[in-house]
Formats: sequence, C-alpha cells, structure tokens
Amino acid sequence: MSDAEIFKVRNRLANHVSEPGGMTAGMAGSRAARELAAQQGKSYEAIGEALETLEWLCQDKAAPMDSVYDLSTTVLDIAGLFDDKQLCRAAYSLCELADKLRTRDAVDWAAIKVHVNGMRLIWNTPEAAREGLNAMVEGLWSLTEHLSIDDSEAEAPAA
Amino acid sequence: MSLHPDVRLNLARSNLLLIDDNEQALEVLASIFRGFGVHRQVKCGSAADAQGVLRSREIDLIVCDTVMPDMDGYSFVRWLRREGPDEARFAPVIMLTGHAARSTIESSRDCGANFIVSKPFTPEVLLQRIYWVAKDERSMVRSDTYVGPDRRFRNTGPPLGVKGRRKDDLSAHIGTAKDPNMDQDEIDNLLKPQRAAL
Repeated sequence: MSDAEIFKVRNRLANHVSEPGGMTAGMAGSRAARELAAQQGKSYEAIGEALETLEWLCQDKAAPMDSVYDLSTTVLDIAGLFDDKQLCRAAYSLCELADKLRTRDAVDWAAIKVHVNGMRLIWNTPEAAREGLNAMVEGLWSLTEHLSIDDSEAEAPAA
Repeated sequence: MSLHPDVRLNLARSNLLLIDDNEQALEVLASIFRGFGVHRQVKCGSAADAQGVLRSREIDLIVCDTVMPDMDGYSFVRWLRREGPDEARFAPVIMLTGHAARSTIESSRDCGANFIVSKPFTPEVLLQRIYWVAKDERSMVRSDTYVGPDRRFRNTGPPLGVKGRRKDDLSAHIGTAKDPNMDQDEIDNLLKPQRAAL
C-alpha cells in the first residue's frame, strides 16, 4: 500500500462567502422559510401521491420490496425538507422495514400496511394535533425492530 | 443549533450544483438556496447529468441526495474525488441523506463528502453546514482506500460566531490572555492540599 498524500486545496466557496454584501443568517433563514412555504402545496401533493401508490401496493401485494423502499424514501426525502419529524420517523421506519425485507428476500405486507396506515394518519392530522401520534410512531419502530430480532435469530448459526 | 442570526455571508456569486432524482425534492432544495441568495444554480436529476455538468462548468458547492437510481450519491462522490475533472475534483460536497440502507453504510463513511446532513432538517441547519464547509480548513487526503477531507478531527471548538453543542465547547478564537501569568507561588498555592470542613 502506498503512503497517503495530504494536501491543501483552494476553496472558492470560502472566498465568495466572505465577499462584501450578502445577507445575515437570520435574513437568509427567513427568506428560505418563505420560499419553502411557496413549495409546500406541490410537495404535499407529491407525498399524497406516494402514499396512494403505497396503499395500492398493499392491496395488490405483488410489488417487489424495492418499490416499497423507493416510495418510502420519496416520502422521507420530501417531508425531510419541511422538517416534518413525525412523518419522517414513520417513513424512515418503513424504509428500514423494506430494506430488511429485501435483504432477506422476504415480504411482510401486514407490517407494511400498518406503516402506510400510520403515515396516512399523520398526513391527515393537523400539525397542532400530532403530538398524540407519538406513541403510534414508536409502535411502528417497535414493529421494525421486532423484525430485526427475527433477523438476528435467522442469521444465528445452527446448533 | 444554528448560525448566529447576525453572521453575514454572501452566496450570490457561488455556483451551486444540486443533484436529486426526485423532481419535487430538487425544486424544494433549489427554492431553499434561492432564499439563501444563491442565484447560480444547476439542477440535475441524476448523477450522470451531474458528471456532464462538472466537465463543462465551474462549480463551488455540490449538494447531493444519497438515494438515486443507477449511480447513487456515494458512488458519485467517489467518482468525483477519484476521476472527476481537475477543477471540480475537490469541490465541497454536502450529502443529504434520508435513510441509510445497510448496503450503503460503509460507502457513506468512505465516499469523501465534506458533510452529511440527515433529513429532516431546517433551512437554518443547512445554512450552518454551508458556512462550516466554507470555513472548513481541513486538508485533503488521497490514499488507496480514501480520497476526501481529512477525517482526523482536532477539536478546535466550533467556528467563530457559532455556539457549540457541548457545554464545554469554546471557540478556537478565544483571544489573547488579559491577566498576567501566575507566578510559581500562586500555582503551588492552588495545588496545595487544603483542609476541608465536612
């Protein structure tokens, strides 16, 4: 193995950031929040479409786990930009579940449906009333963790 | 924790490359950066498109999603650091991650990005990471197994103007001492065992 080479590089971003003008972090944050608010309608529509597709997949029970994973990451990706913590936690749990299932070449539509129903419930609940859903989100995580217990048992060498 | 609201930064002349296969997420990201005052943005829906852009344009900051079909964000950054065009090879990269799949955990650690930001996040957190990247003075490392910023962190405290996350965090810029140095007697006195009343 050859030795590691350590060197400095020019960071153009550093030069730009320090140039006169620009704006304060407070102003940038407020402007970004306004821009985000303008995008909220379209984004929530896209999340709604992903949830609808997931609901349809749960009825059909034929899709590969990759599709479930892709749709749950879509929800996580968009909701994550709006700092929607509960929807993100529920979507993350479904990502984890789908990832584990596809790794084991298994399916568990009941567990997926519970997640999709949970995400739909969060989706339909106004932000102010969502605190009551914390226990439900924790329940989704327990379900996914339960699957990982099964996973470790499955990987244990035979006696 | 976010940047102090009075910290001033100018992103108007920065060339930004945004990469996300999700069209809506890409739009939202672009709008956040517009809010930050970044006017020069190139949006790419795939890593392959981004490779083409990097060959033809000067880019100052890359913000890249991790989960993408064909070439994911980690593979893209690995390509950039090893085979990317000379001008862009060591451009700062902020990765945005939703879910860390089991198969990608190792590649996320070794890809060579400057920072990884987990979703969900607020615009304030993203702005702080951009500021950190801009003030990042880490050297680059090129070895057989890794190309990217030096990961051996020395704790010099949070950057100037940023409140640390730990209660004992001190900024590296604490200034020069105001009081004269203590003489040896004073030091000995401090270390001398004292009778304590219990």
